[in-house]
Amino acid sequence: MGGNAVTTSIAISSLSKVFRKEKKIITALSGFELEVREGEFVCLLGPSGCGKTTVLRIVAGLEEKTSGTVKLQGREITSSGSDRGMVFQEFALFPWRTVRKNIEFGLEVKAVPEEKRAVISKKYIDLVGLHGFEDSHPRELSGGMKQRVGIARALANNPKVLLMDEPFGSLDAQTRNLMQKELLRIWSATGKTILFVTHSVDEAVFLADRIVVMTARPGKVREIIPVDLPRPRERTSREFIGVRGKVLAELDEEFEKARAKELSHD
Amino acid sequence: MAGIVRSAYQLVSSNWRKVALGLASTAVFLLIWWLYAAWLRADWPFHGTPSGAWEYVPYPLEVLDAFYLSFWSHPVSGLYMGEHIYASLKRFFMGFILAFALAVPVGLLMGRFWTADAAGKPIVELIRPIPPIAWIPIFLVLLGVIRGPIAIVFLGIFFPILLNVQFGARSVDPTLIDAARTLGARRLDIFLKVVLPFTVPYLMTGVTVGLGIGWMCIVAAEMLGAAGGGVGYFIFVTAGNSQFPYTYAGMLMIGILSILTTGVAGLVERRVSKWVGMR
Repeated sequence: MGGNAVTTSIAISSLSKVFRKEKKIITALSGFELEVREGEFVCLLGPSGCGKTTVLRIVAGLEEKTSGTVKLQGREITSSGSDRGMVFQEFALFPWRTVRKNIEFGLEVKAVPEEKRAVISKKYIDLVGLHGFEDSHPRELSGGMKQRVGIARALANNPKVLLMDEPFGSLDAQTRNLMQKELLRIWSATGKTILFVTHSVDEAVFLADRIVVMTARPGKVREIIPVDLPRPRERTSREFIGVRGKVLAELDEEFEKARAKELSHD
Repeated sequence: MAGIVRSAYQLVSSNWRKVALGLASTAVFLLIWWLYAAWLRADWPFHGTPSGAWEYVPYPLEVLDAFYLSFWSHPVSGLYMGEHIYASLKRFFMGFILAFALAVPVGLLMGRFWTADAAGKPIVELIRPIPPIAWIPIFLVLLGVIRGPIAIVFLGIFFPILLNVQFGARSVDPTLIDAARTLGARRLDIFLKVVLPFTVPYLMTGVTVGLGIGWMCIVAAEMLGAAGGGVGYFIFVTAGNSQFPYTYAGMLMIGILSILTTGVAGLVERRVSKWVGMR
């Protein structure tokens, strides 16, 4: 893709986010830096409340940053747009629309003609394995199937990046493992850049090219751990467990720091 | 196959049981009514109602008879029941359409924009608790006997629709709006493709409640005078003439009209929810 030159997809520098909750001022992010390469799969990992979802929402344009710059392919992000597809933990499907109509939402908004919409939606329905469920409503689908719709809906817009906010967080363990494999298949089929938020170390090691471990609040990058294991990865292999242990150690330290901070506040 | 037959049988028999229960309770109601009317007319030594109270409670069959006659051979104020119904329906739908056309956009705006809510709230909260009937004397003078009753019906229907639409628009799941935004939707798209369909079921609840209140209002409004007749007017005039079986027949007609409009609303609701894909 794009020759041999490695190009930057998402570039985030000295990003900070401060928000006000009643009378308290909370610094969610401070000096967050990250570059994601074109076609790369990056996982954001960190203790809860570290601001990993906030990073994703700022990149999506759903939330405003306080300072810093966020660029997509060299262009500064100012608002939400269809060049960044997002997949939500709660699926966020439109309950009154069928699977097909959910997937075509972005195309409708762009006023793509109906026949062309049908062709595109069919392509992504087949890609994510929803064949036969086109005319079902979300409430008729299991959690895993719902998230397939969520992924297809985001991809139908042909975005430059896919932002995923704990997309498998509400699925049972079995479905979760299956969906991780499915996502890797979809990723290699589409070549999309993926920025993936999770709190599961196992998930991050299974999926990512690089794992970004964040510090406790205010969130910034603590360490970036490359995962140089060939895919498909074996969760029980010695190498997998090795990387897992390394990531866990980093994360544990942040957990402790967060807890100590909490206790000193009380 | 046997399972399908059995469940079909159960469906039919459960519906049959419902119908049977409804008929039975209606029969009991009519029987009590009949007994009461008979009791008022009986010449008991211990009766103690020398007044003409019996006059006000006709037998059920007398009411049915009057109901029938009012259509064909017994005009009230020179108009047959059909003409009264037409006059009432016309007012009713004028009021309904006006209320619907105004309440939906105002409700959506108040539900989505805090500025609209802040500006509209005091007026709504002030006028809403006033019974529409309280406006009758003023409206009849101000708007006359034709537009007056329409305005009363309007007031009765407007607020239930407004409040339900506002509540619906306010309840839209914010992650749905986030999702729409990341799919490239702008403000107008979000309003038309997310907020509006989300609000439809709430709107239909408002319509159903509004229809019931609307019929209460029209009877009251027409009682004070209505050009071209009306069922409420029919009730008022026949009561004044001591034609009480006809008064009850008019009341029966209101019940029937209310059931019919609610039924139509139910059909529309099913169509609309199918259209927005809710079912």
